[in-house]
Amino acid sequence: MFSLPALLYLSAFLFSVGTYGVLARRNILVVLMSLELMLNAVNIALVSFGRVHALTAFAGEHSGQIFTLMVLAVAAAEAAIGLSLLLVIWRRWNTIDLRQLCRLNG
Amino acid sequence: MSPGIEQLFFGIAAVVATVSSLLVVTRRNPIYSAMFLIVMFAAVSVIFMLLDATFLGFMQLLVYAGAIMVLYLFVIMLINPRDGDLPEESGVTEKSFAAGVALLIFSLLSFAISHSNEVERLSSLGPIPLIPEVSASHGTIRAFGLELFQKHLLVFELTSVLVLAGIIGAVHLASRGRKDGSTAPSAAGKGLVNTDV
Repeated sequence: MFSLPALLYLSAFLFSVGTYGVLARRNILVVLMSLELMLNAVNIALVSFGRVHALTAFAGEHSGQIFTLMVLAVAAAEAAIGLSLLLVIWRRWNTIDLRQLCRLNG
Repeated sequence: MSPGIEQLFFGIAAVVATVSSLLVVTRRNPIYSAMFLIVMFAAVSVIFMLLDATFLGFMQLLVYAGAIMVLYLFVIMLINPRDGDLPEESGVTEKSFAAGVALLIFSLLSFAISHSNEVERLSSLGPIPLIPEVSASHGTIRAFGLELFQKHLLVFELTSVLVLAGIIGAVHLASRGRKDGSTAPSAAGKGLVNTDV
């Protein structure tokens, strides 16, 4: 059960759930959380491939984990920027509904 | 730990991650979504530790469940959406469209996983706890740090620039909305309205 395909299927499932959240929800907060979910799904795949490749790795023993650390940093930057955009939107239009933000002109 | 125990823990963590991720995208109130997202991050952290990525599991808990989710909760507290402010949810057609796209992605990924020669070769090595190829120090902070600062130093420095740009952008954006405070009921705005009257 605890094998590489099981981990990859788990990762694929979490990624699809995140896709559903991004497409189906109208609340910007939940859309941002679904993005975090998708990033985490990718992290699972990276770490499990890094684990099974640990001996044969040509880039180094921990390259999968180091890639995941970079994804973590990108996720932190993305959350900070996304949430401050959300704050600006809330102050300006008093809404967190994505469907009300579909016009290009402010 | 014996392989059986690891399998049990992996099963529990996988089920918890699956269920709580479904709850994240279906709850109406964003507070509940955030809480279930924290549960999901904790389950993923357990999976990382089972994969001999101990340091990364702790980083997952600290950065995701600690820092990022506190940021989300602070923003939810700041905008404090009442029940009427929560957007009405999508209709059945939009939801089924989104579910169709998600299902398509999942089936494509599953097809790729089940038909990949590389995955088959790697999984023929047996369950992950039985692959004895890692050294005892694999995933510890020492081994991880040595490799990070010897082989991947440039990437690390570039990441720090990225995070710095993110901080500056976030501070700029969050303070700009307050200065020209168009619709926000700020003190300056109220003063202007009073002098006009």
